[in-house]
Amino acid sequence: MAISEFVQVDTRSPSPTHEVILEVENVSKSFPGVQALDNVSFNLRKGEVHALVGENGAGKSTLMKILSGVYQADQGTIRYKGKIVNFRNVSQSHDAGIRIIYQELNLIPHLSVAANIFIGREPLTRFGTLDEKKMNTDATAILDRLNIHLDPAIQLNRLPVSKQQMVEIAKALSSESEVLIMDEPTSALTETEIDELFAVIHALRDHGVAIIYISHRLEELKRIVDRISIFRDGRSVSTDDYSAIGMDEIVNRMVGRKIENQFPPKQNVPTTEKLLEVRNIVRPGILHDISFDLYRGEILGISGLMGAGRSELGRAIFGADSIKSGEVIMNGRRLSLRSPSDAIKAGIAYLSENRKEDGLAVKMQLAENITMANVQEISRRFGVLSYSREMEAAQRYVEELLIRTPSLSQIVNNLSGGNQQKVVVAKWLFCNSKILIFDEPTRGIDVGTKYAIYELIGVLARGGRGIIMISSDLPEILGLTDRLLVLHEGSLAATLTTAETTPDEVLNYAAGLGTSIKGDVPTPGQS
Amino acid sequence: MSEITTKDIAKDSIPETKEKVRKPGLAINQFIPFIAVIALFVIFSITAKNFFTVRSILTLALQTSAITIMGIGVTFTIITGGIDLGIGSVIALSGTVAVMVALAGVPIWLSMIFGLLVGVLTGYLNGLMITKLKLPPFIATLGMMMVARGVALTITNANAWPAPEGFGELGNGTLFGTGPKFPGISYPVIIMIVVAFLFHFILAKTRIGRYTYAVGSNEEAARLSGIKINQVKIINYIFSGLLAALVGVILASRMTTSQPNSASGYELNAIAAAVIGGTSLMGGMGTVGGTVIGSFIIGILTVGLTMQGANYFMQQIVIGLVVIGAVTIDQLKGRK
Repeated sequence: MAISEFVQVDTRSPSPTHEVILEVENVSKSFPGVQALDNVSFNLRKGEVHALVGENGAGKSTLMKILSGVYQADQGTIRYKGKIVNFRNVSQSHDAGIRIIYQELNLIPHLSVAANIFIGREPLTRFGTLDEKKMNTDATAILDRLNIHLDPAIQLNRLPVSKQQMVEIAKALSSESEVLIMDEPTSALTETEIDELFAVIHALRDHGVAIIYISHRLEELKRIVDRISIFRDGRSVSTDDYSAIGMDEIVNRMVGRKIENQFPPKQNVPTTEKLLEVRNIVRPGILHDISFDLYRGEILGISGLMGAGRSELGRAIFGADSIKSGEVIMNGRRLSLRSPSDAIKAGIAYLSENRKEDGLAVKMQLAENITMANVQEISRRFGVLSYSREMEAAQRYVEELLIRTPSLSQIVNNLSGGNQQKVVVAKWLFCNSKILIFDEPTRGIDVGTKYAIYELIGVLARGGRGIIMISSDLPEILGLTDRLLVLHEGSLAATLTTAETTPDEVLNYAAGLGTSIKGDVPTPGQS
Repeated sequence: MSEITTKDIAKDSIPETKEKVRKPGLAINQFIPFIAVIALFVIFSITAKNFFTVRSILTLALQTSAITIMGIGVTFTIITGGIDLGIGSVIALSGTVAVMVALAGVPIWLSMIFGLLVGVLTGYLNGLMITKLKLPPFIATLGMMMVARGVALTITNANAWPAPEGFGELGNGTLFGTGPKFPGISYPVIIMIVVAFLFHFILAKTRIGRYTYAVGSNEEAARLSGIKINQVKIINYIFSGLLAALVGVILASRMTTSQPNSASGYELNAIAAAVIGGTSLMGGMGTVGGTVIGSFIIGILTVGLTMQGANYFMQQIVIGLVVIGAVTIDQLKGRK
């Protein structure tokens, strides 16, 4: 694939009939170890819906955070309504008329719809009390303008998520917003709810609001999008009229890059010896009848869009979330999936997506974290701990995994992201885990350390373990795994042999466009 | 595990990261209170007549034993991220149960065991409410505080019943006494010392202690590490209840009566002692040693201020300010 032909930033001056309201010119932003945005340019016209697509890490969110004043650009200019702006914080961008609706709603469940719309700017009576009456009438006016029919006095948490989203939009628009940024607005909505949302978006566009629409669901773009910009690796790849570009081309530009050098050479050779059998896992509304096998020495990827159930599947196998039905069989024994302890005893490890939230006890010491899941191993009689054994174990893993730490008693919070990830790996190696489920192992980790983690995963598989790797980073999945499962809305859309698949095929299945190929499940022996 | 040697291959690929080297030492949140105890002691020895005498030091130790023992118990629950507000009432209930059972003709030692079992039971019930019914610890133990007090008042008919002879030995007896110059160390003080060492050992050196910190530091990480967090929490509330009951039996013995109204508000002093000693109400942090120091800060202030002629109301003000000051120091330290 010729990369160069995709790296053509659209620098045409906007046609005179299209008034540009927001223009981003050559903006760069770096964080320690990561160039999040590299010379990005982008423009937004009044009254258009402009899709922004790209894989995770492409720089979409960073740009949105710069536009809303959360971050400041290192270089480049942002021109808003003809003037160069540099928002220092969110309230400055709000005042200028730029609003973001995040994927997670920022609403207060126990307040009324009107109270949520006017939060922070409540109209007051002349006695300084809340003017509920004015708030309700104004809220009704805003909702009517959007064609949303809601009682403004109703308590927010009585409404379905889709209606809450409408309230979020109303809140954003209550203060004369001219630019509205929507981040994955449909991820929690049903089909009919999406229709309602799109109707509102159309109405907004007709009122002249400029909308940036971020989505991973490529198939829905055709219904609302006027123009589309594609981001990749922190660069703006292209901007086109949506009608002028096909789906294949979008996918190509999203993933089109050489991925050979990002990954270490393959180290593991999958065997045909079954390590784990997962059968008919059902968690209503989240996982639908998922079955697969994992083989000794294999790295199995789990891919899919956000909300497809990737992490949930990993957690189900580990017993971290309760499921309705299904079996996990290891060494011919059916595991109880009621709590993680049975899975841990059987030799399954789950390395959580959010290291700090549920992988590590960050206030505790490095050695204490390493032994946390297998304290029995360092216990003498009556549950008395042996510190010498603990230090011995910690020292061994610090050396083996090259954990950079000033001491074994270092508080984990003070370690870097990559080293924290290694502490989690050490924790599970100390449990003699045979199967390691890595959930987004490289999220928030700089590029150099990513490579080390990839190597580590390869080495673990070479040593005869089975690896399940859950990742939203498609190149990473394709560069590392032997086989991969693609999930679509909680169902297994495809089981693919990595060497024989293409990014397009995976994305197609993930978007629900591919046909199911159940019954033709490849095993490592076949390839 | 010998097959995992990434050492050779990973060496080149790990970028150098500059990390702040922080040598572990005596944590500041224990160090400052410790200095404070010494300082208070010196100040009162100079300013208050008779403060630095054998007799008053023995009195100080005796008076501080109750809050120390219950403070140690509540420290465990606070480290898990919880709280135990019921301990004051459990003191009253266990004491009255011990006296009533003894009055029914049961041997003294056995009646005291009954008293302790009351603490185990209330602690277990607290644990069940918190883990199975998913009640917030504040609510569950607040309920227990009212229920236990009510039961104590009911079974005694709100009367102070005199305990049978011999019941007062535990609370009033002494050891190593050599006459009027050195009246000996009271049993409650010895019990306090034993409890402090035992529970320090449990918290710092055993598996359940480690799990206590893990649950309080990150409950979800602990659960995903296979730690049975419900079991850990229940055990912690049992510790708390048991130590409160121990105080209850000791106090009943000292007063040689059932006192259904005793120890009201003690739970707040115990929590204050834990907090002054560096236990974080956010969970995950705290030590038995810190709580002992915290208790003695309160104890020295109380005894010292009394000897200087400050009234009870003045003492309340000072102790309140100390609690606020101690936590402020912790917060300022955390903000850095």
